[in-house]
Formats: sequence, structure tokens, C-alpha cells
Amino acid sequence: MPRATKFTKEEPSDAGSDVAMDEAPTSHQPESRDDMSIDPNENEEVEEDEVEEEEETQRVRLLPGSTPTAASFEFLNEGHTLGNALRYIIMKNPDVEFCAYAIPHPSEAKMNVRIQTFEGTTAIQALEKGLRDIQDLCDVVTDKFIDSREKFAAGISA
Amino acid sequence: MDYDPMVMDDAESVGPVVKISQADSVRTKFELSNADISFANSLRRVMLAEIPTIAIDLVEIEDNSSVLADEFIAHRLGLIPLNAEGADSLLYSRECDCEGHCEHCSVRLTLHAKCTGDENMHVSARDMVPTGDRINQAVGTPIIADAEGLGPLILKLRPGQEIKLECIAKKGIAKEHAKWAPSAAIGFEYDPHNKLRHLDMWFESDAKTEWPPSEYATWEEPPQEGEPFDYDAVPNRFYFNVESAGNLPPDTIVGEGIKVLQQKLAGLIHELTEGEGGDGMNGDYSGPRSPEYSAGADGFGGGYATPYGNGGNQSSWGGAGGTTPYGTTPYGAGQSWS
Ligand SMILES: [Zn+2]
Repeated sequence: MPRATKFTKEEPSDAGSDVAMDEAPTSHQPESRDDMSIDPNENEEVEEDEVEEEEETQRVRLLPGSTPTAASFEFLNEGHTLGNALRYIIMKNPDVEFCAYAIPHPSEAKMNVRIQTFEGTTAIQALEKGLRDIQDLCDVVTDKFIDSREKFAAGISA
Repeated sequence: MDYDPMVMDDAESVGPVVKISQADSVRTKFELSNADISFANSLRRVMLAEIPTIAIDLVEIEDNSSVLADEFIAHRLGLIPLNAEGADSLLYSRECDCEGHCEHCSVRLTLHAKCTGDENMHVSARDMVPTGDRINQAVGTPIIADAEGLGPLILKLRPGQEIKLECIAKKGIAKEHAKWAPSAAIGFEYDPHNKLRHLDMWFESDAKTEWPPSEYATWEEPPQEGEPFDYDAVPNRFYFNVESAGNLPPDTIVGEGIKVLQQKLAGLIHELTEGEGGDGMNGDYSGPRSPEYSAGADGFGGGYATPYGNGGNQSSWGGAGGTTPYGTTPYGAGQSWS
């Protein structure tokens, strides 16, 4: 019994995640419009999704109220994976007075990092150093893993 | 005893150490030591959810006279592990220039089976045929790991029943859907004697006798009788057990995991250093610039703002004049930071 061709999407994709980032509100800030508003532009948003990809979306930004030595950063599409490791490694920097991270709301893919430094370095420098330090750590672990695997393989064949 | 940060750093100056205790085609067991739990956990999380693999994402069903619904079969097909070798160089379909999908961003598999005998027929992953061009000859091929060489069972057909369909396998990560997970499971364990008391063991009468010792219990010194609790102790040795689902070999999962983490970091560093030179941040996400702008100009007040912003005296509903939660139209008017 042949039937009409039809398409079955294996899993409904998460439409919400495709909203253009410049449409997204800041964490804990009010949306510029909410569900109860009647917005004539509401439908345009869907079409904008198609155009959205031309520019790389910015994934870090400085939150308002930051000063050179005490700043809060907001990361898009990052979570505990980066947040906790970054917090730890930035706190290891002796020029850093304080560092913490938070995910303000579980249904928003945003992660905030607060950095306060002593005089002599800025929060942005501390953040950049933190990121580079994790990179170095990754390099070392990769090398050690490859080493160890080779040693293990040699141990089996010996 | 005075706190001496150098004591801690002494152990760390050796740097992280990796020791493999088992490695075969399905699993790698290794110990990561001299690393912090935050890094070890990042590695675990990234291996679980962020390594790109390939899985069936789109199914076009031409004929299905089996007892199973189209959607049900499509879901089962999505979960079949496909060889992800070289999936890294495959494009994400949403980033590809093509309309819909092409050989640079997908692999096409077909399945056509009809039960012509007089006994029920088993249709399994082996019957899926990759067709068309592929970026390499391995990517997208169903993983067959059982002794019979059949692969996972997809459905059964009664005599006379037929299934004919075409699948599009795309690249993705497990954060989006678990079908893209490269690992069947990742064991993660530390402190086998629970010296740090991160665990609170449930017990009937005695936790010691009721809980079996960890396989790593002999690797670490058991606590002495009456040993005082060490408040400064932190976990230092982490035992990973990376079990592959077949699409990537286990040591590749570890390597790719670190690579994904590296790419994440590189992307962020690039953004940070790029933003520094430029004049920067007029839009929300146009990059962090040195924060020399006048405090308060954005309506957030000066001095310390909490990381959640709103350090000023605005109501959290925006519009300064708003009296109801919905304020006056347009919502959030007067906020200059958008
Ligand atoms: Zn394509």
C-alpha cells in the first residue's frame, strides 16, 4: 500500500534557541516586550532568523556598572562547563581579589562571571589570562594523555 | 598552622598527570591527578555533551506497512550510532551554503526491506545503505558491534509488509539531542574512601559493610582509625571511565573533548582581544571594551552593580514611569543600553 511521501522531522527543534542575539534581553532585565503586548513586529522576528547568520554573534559582553578592576561579564551559550573551570583558574591568579560565576536562570543560556582585581591588572586582562591558562592546561592534559596511551599500548605489547 | 599557598602550589607545579589503566575499543579508563575538580568536571561535561558526531535527523518515509508508526521508526533511526570518523570536518547543516542539505553537511542512508518469506523478518542497522557522495568512506556508516554483524534492530516485518525510507544524517552535539552523544557513559569518580565526606552514605546499620568498596579503593590510602577530618583537603585524583557508543573510539572521545574545550576558549580569547582595539561596545554584544565609560550614564548608577545588573534604582520592570508591571508602552522605554 504505497502512501504519499511525507517528511518526518526526527525531533522538533528548539525554536527558542534561534532568536537573533540582538533581540535577546540582558539577564535579569525586563524584556522589551512581553507576551501580553501586541507588537506589530512580532512576525518579523521569524523572518529575521534567516538573515541572522551573516554575522558572528558576540559571545561575551561586559555588563553595565563595571569598572576596570571590578567587572561582570555575561557569556552566551556557556554554562558550568566553562564557568567553574574559569572561576577556579582566575582565582588562582594572585592579582585577582575575587572571582565567581553564576547562571542566573536555568532556562537562559547565559553565564555571568564577576571578577575583581587588585591594582595593576584589569578584570578583562584577568579574564583573558584565565582563558589562556585553561588552554595551557588543556595542552598539558592532551600531551599527558597521549603519552600515557602510548605507554599503555607499549605495556600491553611488551 | 598558617595557611601557606605555596604548599598547595608545590603539588601543582608538577602539573596534571594522566595514567591509563585500561584501554580497548569500547572503553578507556584513566586517572587524572594533580588537577582541580573544576577542570576534571569540565572535561567530563564536554565529553558527554559537546563533541560533534553524526546521527539521523531527517527521515523521508516512502512506504511503511509495518505495525510501527512512522514517527516511532524515525525516532529509532535517530538513535542508531553512526560512524563519526571525520565528522569534525563535516559542516553543520545550518552553516552550510546549500539549500537544505548536501554531501558537505549530511550523509544519506536508504533502507528498503520487504518480507517475502513466510516468517517474520528482522530489519536491522546492517540493512541501512549509505548512498551518494560522502566526505570520507567511513562517516555515516551504521556501527555494527554484535557478533552476528546485524547491528541494532530497527523493526520487524510480517510476511508481505514493507518498509522503504530515506534518511538524512547530520552533524550535531549531544547538548541538542542525546542521539549525538559519542559516549554511552562516562564514569567519573574521586575520593573512593569518602574522606572528604562529599557523599552521605545511606545505610541500614553500618555504611562500611553495606557499601561495596570502589574499584579504586586500593589505589588510595584508607583513612586511619580515628583520623581527624581534614578541612583543607580537596579532591585531587579523578577516575574516568569513558565508554564509547561505537561512533568514536574512546581515546578519540577524550582527545576531541579537550579539543572542543580548546576551541571554546580560543573563540572567546579571539573575541576579547578583538574587542580591545576597537571602539567597541555600542550594541549589546559588540564586545567588551575597556570600561571607561561614565558610570551612571546608562541608568545603572555608579559603583558596584551586582553581576545581575540593575544596580540602580530602577524597578526591575524597566520603564521609569511604569507603575504597573507592564508599565507604559513601549516596554522598557528609556533604557539606553539596548
Ligand atoms: Zn550542505
